[in-house]
Amino acid sequence: MNPFLSVVGSLVLWVGGGLLVAGATIVGPRRLSRLRTELVPRLWSVRRALAGLGAVLLVSAIGRSSLQTVSELFGVQLTGLIYAVEGNFVAWVQATFVVPELTMYFAGIYVYGYVFLLAFPFVAYLVLPNVTTLNRLLVAYGLNYSIGLAVYTVVFAHGPRNVMPDTVTSLLFTYNPDIMALTSEVNEAANVFPSLHTSLSVTVATFAVLTRGEYPRWTPVALWLATSVVLATMYLGIHWLTDVIGGIALALGSVYLSYRIVDDDEKTDSEARGDPTAAGA
Amino acid sequence: MNGHVSRRQALAGIGLGALSAGCLGRTRNIAGRDRAEQLTLQIDAAPADRDPNAIRIARHLAENLNAVGVDARINTLRRTDLWRKVLINQNFDIYVGQFLESEPFDPDAMYAFTHSQFVAEAGRQNPFGFTDVNGVDERLERQRRVEGEERRDAVAELQRSLCELQPFTVVAFPDPLTAVREERFKGWTNRRPLSVGALLGLEHAGAAEETGSTDETGSTNGMAGDGDAGADENATADAAVADGDAALRLVTTDDQITVNWNPIAAEYRREGTFTALLYDQLALADGGEVVPWLASDWERVDAETLAVDLRDARWHDGEPVTADDVAFTYEFLRDTSMGALETPVPTPRFRGRSSVVRDATVVADGRVELAIGDVNDAVAVRALRVPILPEHVWSERTDVATIAGFEFDVETTEAVVSNNEDPVGSGPIRFVEATAEESVVFERNPDHFLARADAPDGETDPAAEIPERFRGKPAFDRLRIEVSPSDIAAVSSVGDGLADATVSNLGPDAVPRIGREADARLVTGRSGGFYHVGYNTRRAPLSNPRFRGVLASLIDKESLVDEAFDGYAEPAASPLAASPEWVPTDLTWDDPEADPVYPFVGGSGTLDVERAKDLLREAGYRFDGEERLLSRGV
Repeated sequence: MNPFLSVVGSLVLWVGGGLLVAGATIVGPRRLSRLRTELVPRLWSVRRALAGLGAVLLVSAIGRSSLQTVSELFGVQLTGLIYAVEGNFVAWVQATFVVPELTMYFAGIYVYGYVFLLAFPFVAYLVLPNVTTLNRLLVAYGLNYSIGLAVYTVVFAHGPRNVMPDTVTSLLFTYNPDIMALTSEVNEAANVFPSLHTSLSVTVATFAVLTRGEYPRWTPVALWLATSVVLATMYLGIHWLTDVIGGIALALGSVYLSYRIVDDDEKTDSEARGDPTAAGA
Repeated sequence: MNGHVSRRQALAGIGLGALSAGCLGRTRNIAGRDRAEQLTLQIDAAPADRDPNAIRIARHLAENLNAVGVDARINTLRRTDLWRKVLINQNFDIYVGQFLESEPFDPDAMYAFTHSQFVAEAGRQNPFGFTDVNGVDERLERQRRVEGEERRDAVAELQRSLCELQPFTVVAFPDPLTAVREERFKGWTNRRPLSVGALLGLEHAGAAEETGSTDETGSTNGMAGDGDAGADENATADAAVADGDAALRLVTTDDQITVNWNPIAAEYRREGTFTALLYDQLALADGGEVVPWLASDWERVDAETLAVDLRDARWHDGEPVTADDVAFTYEFLRDTSMGALETPVPTPRFRGRSSVVRDATVVADGRVELAIGDVNDAVAVRALRVPILPEHVWSERTDVATIAGFEFDVETTEAVVSNNEDPVGSGPIRFVEATAEESVVFERNPDHFLARADAPDGETDPAAEIPERFRGKPAFDRLRIEVSPSDIAAVSSVGDGLADATVSNLGPDAVPRIGREADARLVTGRSGGFYHVGYNTRRAPLSNPRFRGVLASLIDKESLVDEAFDGYAEPAASPLAASPEWVPTDLTWDDPEADPVYPFVGGSGTLDVERAKDLLREAGYRFDGEERLLSRGV
């Protein structure tokens, strides 16, 4: 079978299963069942943020290759600087920690854990009666992608596995070449700064900490997964430490901006005005 | 008290002194000098996904340069951008790349690479900006004229000059490694598995039983025999059905052939194997043998003229291939503007070959006379190996290249920058379709003289003088090339039965994988494509041959071959090392420990920093208190 389809198939299977289990244990069936009637009105009330995120993803999907060309022609070539600044840090990480069990773990985390980490908050916050958190999450995702895309265009840099192939093995692809078929569809090898894996994971973790009152069980899970994803990017030889630091900065900035953009009070007001079912509830 | 006063006096004195003419002059003498600063060098190379070996050489050199006090930086670029930077814009310090000849080559290949007549041109010709008028230039010209022992001497002298002056440092000749599976096509040679001749020489493995591809899989498994590949059988069958039974499927990490089919575009072509299959050359070089190709025959009519007779052939669009097309091609390669621009815009590829032919005249139907001057036969025949282009297509591309009507560079014609979509050649394959950066499909050209050789329609043989191995070829109906994200993924495509062979370079991580893939086999051979470190000799201190000599001795070729190439390469000093008959004994790499010209400073992979610095001091370079190499105005 086509390796791309087989990876996507198992991704849907694993993440779907994870969402079911997490939905049952973290959100709880009672709260989930409420979605049956409120799913459509709630989605409607976050339509602007959803549309915004959709637009960013669409632009990213369509414009990526032309932005990549712009980056190749006019981007700042930073591979050499990053390598000069941090040197063999990633090589040291691999030389020190790599064992087959950890490689299996981090490869799984990098692909499946990451997708689950991004998907679950969407379900969890959709269940909450107040859509503010969901709005903020969607805005933060959108900011991550759009700022990330802009920085990708400005900065042209290859990852450590492309610079130090003798000391940094691209563990993910060496042991699971099929996964490469998937990631090469969504990632350009020359887009490493900042690490979007890092920034989106840290974004989710930050939200998990901020909403620990609603989902106390989610917070440690999210922190664990997010930390694992961040470490995986370097352990697998895909990102520099510099990319990870850039990703963390992007995440915190995006969360901050999402709080500035989506105001709690104002949002509930506009929700009451714009949504007849919310007024009835 | 006195001290206080005296300091004020002193300050006043300095102030007055500085204003007085004498001391101002002295200040100018000091402040007017540029301060010497640490030397910074950037080393450009393709990333490991595209070229697994080059980046290792680049890092090796960068580490050793840093050790001797140079601020060396690695820069990774996509291959097209790398070549554009180095060959077209010539805006680089040092690059690591391959010489772009697939097979061992005639010494005349060095003519375009190093002759000073090409310093100002953009393209493959002399990217170093190297000039050695009385040495290298003179020998390059001489080896074109003389024959036999005299030519051997000239070529030996040429190599000695190049090795001494080091416009580029030869690192090693890599083995052209390829992973192949043989259940669909056989005849992968161990000479050069992916040259034009080798691809055309392939045989259909299921020739006797066209529909027996599944059975074939079974029997080949038995032969390969070192693993259970049963699970692969369905995948193989699926892929075979999707592409037709007789499709040859190749996988590469170079996506250039999916976006550009211009045979003269320097930054997009490597060896140009596929464009050479699209565009026939007058003569084909195949394993040291020259095969009459689009030309059925040629003869030296006098000392300075070569007459060429063409075969009966047609372009892919149905137009006949004429002697006018050949004459046009040679003029066009000399000046792609065909005289329309103030200065000629020569081709960025085939420059050495096209410079041999001074004039081309149509003397009869299907006969051209090439004025080649006083060159020997080897050089004359080499000049026949250029792609013949259809005049009716390329004469439209002689204007200055523009973007939306604006001229960017008056020294560039449309022909040089065109992607040449829907290429119209006369070769044994025709373009079908392409998806940018993913795949490209070609098909067998049934009108080609090779294809017609199987079924001659008249009494004349359309493929006279063509060796038996090419008659009726190519064996495939379609040729599909898929782009793979890395060499490792490429090898596993072959292992999974999704492809028949890898086309691009394989790194040391990918090679052991071939052994683990049950149906894949490693094929190798000899290549002319030596890896080298190229210096921009337009820039100080790289302009100094002594400095380049020290850089050459910072490169440990022996341990690079072991580590970066996993042993699948031969270290070398001379660029002609793949053709040992040309290399004088003082330049051969006999002793496994040392380079005959600039031996590595150090032993077994470790640099002797102090000795290296001494070499730099001897060459006239200086260091500051922090042991940094100083340089002015870089």
